[in-house]
Amino acid sequence: MPVKFYTFRIQRNRKSREGRIESRWQEYRVEAEETTTVLTALEEIKGHQDGGLTFRQSCRSAICGSCAMKISGRTRLACKTHIGAVSRDGVVEVAPMANQPILKDLVVDIGPFFKRIRKIKPYLEEGPEANTDVGKSAYDQVNHVTQCIMCGCCYSDCTMSEVSPEFIGPAALAKAFRFVSDPREGQKTARLKDLSENHMMWSCSRCAMCVEMCPKDVAPMEAIVKLRTRGLEKGFKDGPGPKHALAFHEDIKKTGDLNEFTLMVRTIGVIGAMKEMGTMLHFMKKGKVPSPFPHKSGNLDELSKIYDILERDKPDVETKAKEVVPE
Amino acid sequence: MIADGYNLVFRKSNSGSANRISGYKESEMSLEFAYYPGCGAKQVQKEADEAARAVCQELDIGLFDMPNATCCGAVSLRETKPAFSLAVAARILSEAEAQGRDLVTICNTCLQTLSYANYRFKTEPEILEKINKVLSEAGVRPFEATIKVHHLLWVMTDLVDQTMLKSRIKRPLNGLRVAPFYGCHNLRPEHIYDGEAGEKADHLHRLIATLGGDPVSYDGQDKCCGFHVMLSDQEEMKGMVAKNCLSAKNAGAEVMISPCTLCDMAMGAYQGVAEKSVGKFIGLPEMNFAQLLGAAMEIDEKKLGLNRLHISPRPTLSARGVL
Repeated sequence: MPVKFYTFRIQRNRKSREGRIESRWQEYRVEAEETTTVLTALEEIKGHQDGGLTFRQSCRSAICGSCAMKISGRTRLACKTHIGAVSRDGVVEVAPMANQPILKDLVVDIGPFFKRIRKIKPYLEEGPEANTDVGKSAYDQVNHVTQCIMCGCCYSDCTMSEVSPEFIGPAALAKAFRFVSDPREGQKTARLKDLSENHMMWSCSRCAMCVEMCPKDVAPMEAIVKLRTRGLEKGFKDGPGPKHALAFHEDIKKTGDLNEFTLMVRTIGVIGAMKEMGTMLHFMKKGKVPSPFPHKSGNLDELSKIYDILERDKPDVETKAKEVVPE
Repeated sequence: MIADGYNLVFRKSNSGSANRISGYKESEMSLEFAYYPGCGAKQVQKEADEAARAVCQELDIGLFDMPNATCCGAVSLRETKPAFSLAVAARILSEAEAQGRDLVTICNTCLQTLSYANYRFKTEPEILEKINKVLSEAGVRPFEATIKVHHLLWVMTDLVDQTMLKSRIKRPLNGLRVAPFYGCHNLRPEHIYDGEAGEKADHLHRLIATLGGDPVSYDGQDKCCGFHVMLSDQEEMKGMVAKNCLSAKNAGAEVMISPCTLCDMAMGAYQGVAEKSVGKFIGLPEMNFAQLLGAAMEIDEKKLGLNRLHISPRPTLSARGVL
């Protein structure tokens, strides 16, 4: 493996006397191979070039989640990331995780992240819905999400968390699904009710960034989709999120295509739609108002038959946990 | 270069036969696809559909309508009725397969929804069997999972011969600084797609360069446009639009292009609404990639629907000699 010099462009952060974070970029040259990890390079810098550089690390085995940081624009575990995979023209840019308060250099306050985890009650609760007589397959869905190591990569790259400080975030929702899908959980319905509130499961924008960036393949967005399905099945259909999803379902069943003309009213109600009149007028000027008579797809009777058969038979099509192969 | 293994149909011309995939020479053959524009392109974003058809006609790429195809349902249908969502996707894919053609779309969300289903059908035979049993019972042709799902952008950057494409550029962009807005659903999750996806995808950058433009990289280029939370989380959606557009503008972009009708709606049509929400003027013309490609190919701007855009790109494009 050839050795070459890489430039590490690291965001240095420190608190001023006034308590404000002051940021600057500092460059270091590190001799390394393509397969050298970013963490090894950071240790080299701290050990031989700049002892003041501050970052978190612990296990070096992608299991503790301590060394999550922004590396070349995305949040990754430094101990799992090879320099060659993230360098651009020989430069690796390193910054602290986003969507969390910075403490120093690459270290952030993970308190707000764990506050969100605590909000979903990350423990089994006793209650009427607990079932202890279960087979191995009952844990298929639990096993989907128990690989989460709480590193916060998904939360740091979450596009909704970036604009919404209230959003609970993908890690907490994946953790919530872990309990909702656990047959031993006694408060499944109560959990789904809480998760149907504002800034919870219906606020995910479905951008799949969390699926892409999770270092443990937890796929939080998939868990969020399943949570929503379970919430709807339990009858939690209030709010624009569930109403919007149900409108899709009704339209496809009825005409095959969306009735975009009525979609807004059905999602946010008449009063909500009236508040959007300014926006609507703006669209009308550009001829961007959908037709009240939506397109109808051909052979719609096929669709009705499909729907009826599925309502009768209800086949299980949920993705199942894959066997975890040690890395 | 052409990716191997595409289930593509080539129309034979009078001048010669085509029996291999090696790009396509304009004089010899052309590509054919079952065309799935998606709901957005049928209604509020008609201009993207018009531009896609105009560009394909010019390049002799066959787009064949799918009269029975329904809305794909996006993730919304998967949330409400997971099995129905897969069956709806299978019915759409089966219609394309019955034509003997791969499917092509101009909507990122349709791309993701149909790619997700196609990926599952190809990797989970038991799921395909369950869904096909339902299709058969309903009188629908079962899906054999033999086709691929393409984005028209991938067709332009990876299937069409680039030398031929360049030869059709009559009005090069002359260094126009163009911000590519990829969006989410043609990139993530990477493993489900039949074309270039994931963090390192650069198809829009490459297209801009082919047209003679200067692709502008910026922080928001592969983030969420907010379309899917447009009604449920309105302020957050406007925040996303403003953040992405300002990020592009601050990086020096003069125009933004997107490969998705829904991103067009958010980043373009909603830009004025987002400006008011954050109290900042943005004024960045946004257009569909097919519109900019069409303009560079000297296709009549009426055919490209440039008049339907939130901010007219006309002054910017005229300044560079494109219009």
